[in-house]
Amino acid sequence: MRGLIFLRDRGIFVLWILIIAVFAVWANPYFATLNNAILVANAAAISAIFAAGVAVGIICGALDLSIPGVAALSSCIAGWMITTGLPVWLALVVGIVTGALVGFVNGVISLRGFNPIIVTIAMLSITSAAASIIAGGYTFPGLTQLDFMGTQRYLGIPAPVWITAGVFLVGTVFLTKTRDGIRLMAVGGSAEAVRRSGIHSDRYKVLAFVISSTCAALGGLVTTATVTEANPSASPALIFTALTAVALAGVSLVGGRGSLPRVLVGALVLATIANGLTIKGVQPYWATGVTGVLLIGSLALERWVTASVSRRLMATAQASVHTGTR
Amino acid sequence: MATTTTAPALELAGIDMHYGYVRALDSIDFHVGQGEVVGLLGDNGAGKSTLLKIMSGAHRPSSGTVRVHGKEVELHSPSAATHAGIQMVYQDLALVDALDIATNLNIGREILRPGLFGLLGFVDHKAQRKRSEAELDKLGVRTAAMTRPVEMLSGGQRQVVALARSATRVSGGHNGVLLLDEPTAALGYEQTQVVQALVRRMADQGIAIVLVTHNLQLASAVCDRMVVLNRGRKVADVATEDTDTDHVVGWITGARGSMFD
Repeated sequence: MRGLIFLRDRGIFVLWILIIAVFAVWANPYFATLNNAILVANAAAISAIFAAGVAVGIICGALDLSIPGVAALSSCIAGWMITTGLPVWLALVVGIVTGALVGFVNGVISLRGFNPIIVTIAMLSITSAAASIIAGGYTFPGLTQLDFMGTQRYLGIPAPVWITAGVFLVGTVFLTKTRDGIRLMAVGGSAEAVRRSGIHSDRYKVLAFVISSTCAALGGLVTTATVTEANPSASPALIFTALTAVALAGVSLVGGRGSLPRVLVGALVLATIANGLTIKGVQPYWATGVTGVLLIGSLALERWVTASVSRRLMATAQASVHTGTR
Repeated sequence: MATTTTAPALELAGIDMHYGYVRALDSIDFHVGQGEVVGLLGDNGAGKSTLLKIMSGAHRPSSGTVRVHGKEVELHSPSAATHAGIQMVYQDLALVDALDIATNLNIGREILRPGLFGLLGFVDHKAQRKRSEAELDKLGVRTAAMTRPVEMLSGGQRQVVALARSATRVSGGHNGVLLLDEPTAALGYEQTQVVQALVRRMADQGIAIVLVTHNLQLASAVCDRMVVLNRGRKVADVATEDTDTDHVVGWITGARGSMFD
């Protein structure tokens, strides 16, 4: 029983360690090095930030599909501001605030009873159009002022990895330790339960959209910093990579369940597979295929674990009610 | 439990409820005192649910007055009812499955950590667990470890958690009213016994309880008084010890004439 629950809650960590072990042997001696580990972490960093946004949205019961558009819009606004000579910090702040605002609008519209998926798809179009309008059909190249959060290394570790670590640390503490975070998760699990406790569940839905879009904006800015160019084209692939990491992490799409550390490992699993196969000279499309297989595998595992757990519970439930122990 | 007021915890007088031409309730008088368990019985369509919805603020009566502890109130919404100290426990329980028992019991009235962390909104999980343990002990139901997610509980344990959550919300300050809608509908025999004992203990602590049920055995086991509705009218209001199941069945089916005609 404990083993099963461990598998459900920590399975992704076990999977990651297995994958690392396989590649460590198979791609010896190039895979298991410190340098390669940093490479993997850096590759995972940006998709992990987006995945964090998607995860918070889903945990609170709303899938935010506007993320690629928000990322493009924020980076173009920041790129335009930097290009016109405005201070870098101001450009970054405005970029982040834009993300938060889009999230707020998403949330408020969704609360009016519109399907959040459609609302955020519309917002995806609107934000990517806005990004293109700002960029005037071109890009903003040569943004070397952003190197400090792109290619720069601190203590030997690239800036995006630090930023991602910060995002996940703050996010995890928020969701598990603070009143608002716990309520946000509760709203995703059962909005009705929260409402009956006398809390405005709507507030937390909007908050989830705001967090989601803010993560998207941050991810867009880090991407811009890494490639020193703000690009107005919103890549839908981004949302699917993020969703894959989230699903691998066992975040239930129904909401109310999930943990950010697992999402981080989900992103790392994807990066590790891509990295290991690249080292072995396997074509990148194989990595995509392997990811798909893993995803379905993880679903199957989850169903099996859930079914086993509930079977055992049924067996012990009768006794436990009576004895009052566990 | 010492009671200082003599007015009933909840009193409804002359409640009428019309849906178009349909008269769902016809001048119903109803009251429940502190520490009293009143069973609300009747066949399907007799008006139990309508009356319950009026008490919980989900519906507004066409006419009639509602008093809580002797004070007239307008229950224009469920939150107004909650504010007045009336808590409804629905059949669907509405617990957050993925969260543990302590969090479920404390949501909406969290204990924050002292100092700077508290200002940042950090929850004191340990204090919350302690409080919940104390509250469940007071009700005599320690179902499982406080850190266990609700989804890993049996049906009976969930019902206990849902009841305890409502009980803790009405017992602060002066005693409130709990409205229970078929609390044992989904439970087996043993679990029903547990819930039954819990209802009694909540009443012993001074909570006023209205119990809507089809289960006559349950009603005669836990209720101090039974109120029977038939086609929107109150046909019986009688202490449990002064009646028996046959009479109650008669009132429910309409085979027995109203006490009030």
